[in-house]
Amino acid sequence: MSFIEVENLKYKYPHAENLALDDLSFFIERGEFIGIIGENGAGKSTLSQAFMGLVPHFYKGAYGGKIVVDGIEVKKSSVAELCQKVGLVFQNPFNQLSGAKDTVYHEIAFGLQNMGVPKEEMEKRIEDVLKLLDIEAYKDRNPFDLSGGQMQRVAIASVLVMRPEVMILDEPTSQLDPQGTEEVFKAVDTLTELGITIIMIEQKIEKMAAYCDRMLLMKEGKLIDFDTPVKILNRSDLADYGVKPLFVTNICKKYGVKKQDGLYPITLEEVLELKETYSDNLLFTDKEQLAVECHAKAVKTEAIEHKAYETIFNVTDLSFQYVENTPVLKNINLTLDNRPTAIIGQNGAGKTTLVKLLKGLLKPVNGTVFLKDTNIAEKTVATLAGQVGYVFQNPDDQIFKYSVLQEVMFGPLNIGMTPKEAEEKAMEALALVGLSDVKDRNPYDLELNERKMIAIASVVAMNPEVIILDEPTIAQDDKGREIIRTVIDKMHEEGKLVIAILHDMDFVEECFERIIVMAKGEILADGTAQEVFVEDDVLQKARVMRPYKMELYYQLWK
Amino acid sequence: MKSISLYVDNGTYLTKLHPYTKLLYVMTAIAVSVIIGNIWGFVIFIGLSLLALTSGKVLKKTFPLITFSFTIILVIFIIHGMFYHENENVLFQIWKLTFYKEGVLYATKIGLNVLNMLLAFAVFVLTTKPDILVEEMEKSGFSPKFGYVVSSVFQIIPEMTGTMNTIMDAQKSRGMETEGNLMTRAKAFLPLISPVVMSSLINTRERAIALEVRGFGVKRKKTYLREFKKQKQDWILMVVFLMAILASAVWKVIVCLL
Amino acid sequence: MNKLFKTKLDAACIVLIPVCIGINYLGKLFASVLKLPLWLDGIGTCIGATLGGPIIGAIVGAANNIIYGLTTGDNITLIYALTSVGIGLAVGIMARLGFMETFLKALITSVVVGLVAVVISTPLNVLFWGGTTGNVWGDALFAATQSAGMPVFLGSLLDEVVVDVPDKIITLTIAFLVLKGLPTKLISMYNADEKIESLD
Repeated sequence: MSFIEVENLKYKYPHAENLALDDLSFFIERGEFIGIIGENGAGKSTLSQAFMGLVPHFYKGAYGGKIVVDGIEVKKSSVAELCQKVGLVFQNPFNQLSGAKDTVYHEIAFGLQNMGVPKEEMEKRIEDVLKLLDIEAYKDRNPFDLSGGQMQRVAIASVLVMRPEVMILDEPTSQLDPQGTEEVFKAVDTLTELGITIIMIEQKIEKMAAYCDRMLLMKEGKLIDFDTPVKILNRSDLADYGVKPLFVTNICKKYGVKKQDGLYPITLEEVLELKETYSDNLLFTDKEQLAVECHAKAVKTEAIEHKAYETIFNVTDLSFQYVENTPVLKNINLTLDNRPTAIIGQNGAGKTTLVKLLKGLLKPVNGTVFLKDTNIAEKTVATLAGQVGYVFQNPDDQIFKYSVLQEVMFGPLNIGMTPKEAEEKAMEALALVGLSDVKDRNPYDLELNERKMIAIASVVAMNPEVIILDEPTIAQDDKGREIIRTVIDKMHEEGKLVIAILHDMDFVEECFERIIVMAKGEILADGTAQEVFVEDDVLQKARVMRPYKMELYYQLWK
Repeated sequence: MKSISLYVDNGTYLTKLHPYTKLLYVMTAIAVSVIIGNIWGFVIFIGLSLLALTSGKVLKKTFPLITFSFTIILVIFIIHGMFYHENENVLFQIWKLTFYKEGVLYATKIGLNVLNMLLAFAVFVLTTKPDILVEEMEKSGFSPKFGYVVSSVFQIIPEMTGTMNTIMDAQKSRGMETEGNLMTRAKAFLPLISPVVMSSLINTRERAIALEVRGFGVKRKKTYLREFKKQKQDWILMVVFLMAILASAVWKVIVCLL
Repeated sequence: MNKLFKTKLDAACIVLIPVCIGINYLGKLFASVLKLPLWLDGIGTCIGATLGGPIIGAIVGAANNIIYGLTTGDNITLIYALTSVGIGLAVGIMARLGFMETFLKALITSVVVGLVAVVISTPLNVLFWGGTTGNVWGDALFAATQSAGMPVFLGSLLDEVVVDVPDKIITLTIAFLVLKGLPTKLISMYNADEKIESLD
């Protein structure tokens, strides 16, 4: 008998029309690392919640088939019983805190208290996980004051301390910055060493390729495939399931570099290992060509050369601080023209502060920001709304209307468009982000990734000259990223300036002509992807990673 | 994160007393002065509370807590001083306004009662950590669910107010005015409150899952990391307070019988 | 009767309570930021009562005042927990009777709730504040009734009616507007009657 057995599992949420899980059957052995991949809405989270009984006990709805975890049938058990066997960590770090404890130490104790673990045992176990996950330094801090990555590690610790035999990680890094992501993956490394069974959902396929023993590919609630990562990621129809084929796999396919088992490599390490076997292959010999493939060298096309740029923002000697003597921005000088511009760097580098100053949400402590001929500091935010659009990171900070269309029309109406004009603009914007079909739905009936699109549309519809996007790709799958890319291209074509704060370096490299690297309130580098991602010391200082694509080139031709 | 709790962690003897001892003091101060029923009862306990607050080094923190009541007490003096229905004897006159003895006395009693309650309560609130109160209540039989509600409010309110500025910025960015005439400001209320209400209600689903995952539904006796035992001084004070309530009741009965 | 008061006390409903208290707090905060001449500090209680039923409403009301007392040091607020409990119960019962479904019905609910608040608060006002409410308009009316020689209780009742009923009408209107926008997925989470069906 397998450790986890899933047989003909079917599930439908209350008031839903379609099955969220449609006749799934598979087995998982003790100690395996299982990855679940697929597009948003494929049923990955639903499946993960079925292992510990949240589906169906918490959500109710309609349920069929069965899951047996280590001899316990989930349907006949309860979450209270299963939570001692199965642990779950999910996306949003905030919502995973119990919300009732004011120190990390007590937060971690919460589950143990509920289980009635004696005091001495609790203390020992807490000390253990604090060390294991390297969060001892924060044990007396308020968990709500921590960064996303730290919070997520506290969440993992809080679950791990209950000694589960299975750990489910549902996109634990999707809402984190690169440093937070790195921290969490380090924690995942620690978990794998403990030998417990891990089931992980993740959009970062490159990472998953290195971890998983087996991968489960899902679409529309159905199991498409369940096999080793190399077999799954070698499928030629991956894109049909919303999974972007890996760059390394694609390029190896192109050059005909295969592993011994006849499959193409899925990690950089695997490629490097094949260097000797394929010493004659162009992949390892033709540096120039590979640089082009990996976008490590600029391909100068005529279009780029002849485009004339006009200055939109002029920033001089800009400084800002929230608190006396702790400068957030130090003497920034910058001109922005209508090239799509990405701002990258760690949390706390001053990126958001900079764009808020551009938008006029903050007033400079020193220096000036000019939007063409207007000094931003002299205008109110609301009057600037028509010129500079700003899409906030969390769409739920702005959505309040009952229908998607109404929500998108709110801004246009505020800046004085006629209802007819506003509706026209709103429909255009919705079409652009692919939400025309749901224009009459309640925004909160849609998923977070779709609500992010609504927020983008609601600013695009105002037809501003400048559009600022704060972390647009968070929570998006490959399809979503493609849509955002079309939005950026379209805005650029219309002569608008697109500024985006981003953490997804491959996306940055693909979509932006200009990249500004920030760290500690200063600009470290400013240029094209090819100029910026070359400089090792800049990348290190800003703690950003090179795009996977370029990394391959640098690994081979260092 | 800015805490909304009033607790002052200064390590004085008051913070070390058991929460129940301090709660019993609040009850005693209110009950005894009401039972005695004359102004002196209030004065004694106001004095005692001030003494406790001073020795607990929290007197300064007390004033902001009671200032709100002054305007109300002033209104009470004016209304009852002039219009109390039993008013007969003129006390004094300012300009054309006449204040009466009965009304002023009535207002004084109300004012002292309010002040007494607020000060006694300040002794409790300023020196008791909400977490510890909740834990002690759970240990003496209150449902941990109730305990969760109280502790989480202390965490959730700062979190929710923290999003307030972001929402203001987000809606202003879409051209919404938050200043101007009453109509403009009133119209801004829904776009401001709705997002935070919606998102926090939607977040309850994940938070509920987080609790379930951490064994919130396990039906076993909860255990605790902290021990906050009643000390000798707690027992002594509790006996003194109970005796005071009893004595004042006996006194009242005797006075009535005579 | 049973159906009116049926209550789930699982994690979903428990976490609803602090959030509703937070909404009360925020309503008050936004009203003061926008300088609106209203309290609007009961929106969360109304939302909690409508979603979770009268018992949850009552708990939100009670806990709201207890915690308000603990965070402001104002223990007289604690006594007004009785009023909040009354409001929570009244909204919850009206909602279960279907009186939160349309705007007109919600308006009826708001008048009922306003009166419940008046009935409970008036004796407390008389007992602790000699009949005043702390609201300028209401207290001016109270002063007028007293100078006209009306009994304290009657004057205080009028004072409270003028203050509470309009506030409750606006509070419930806002609660209604917010609730109308809630996704069905969420509402079903608080439904005490939801069952697991079988697909086998």
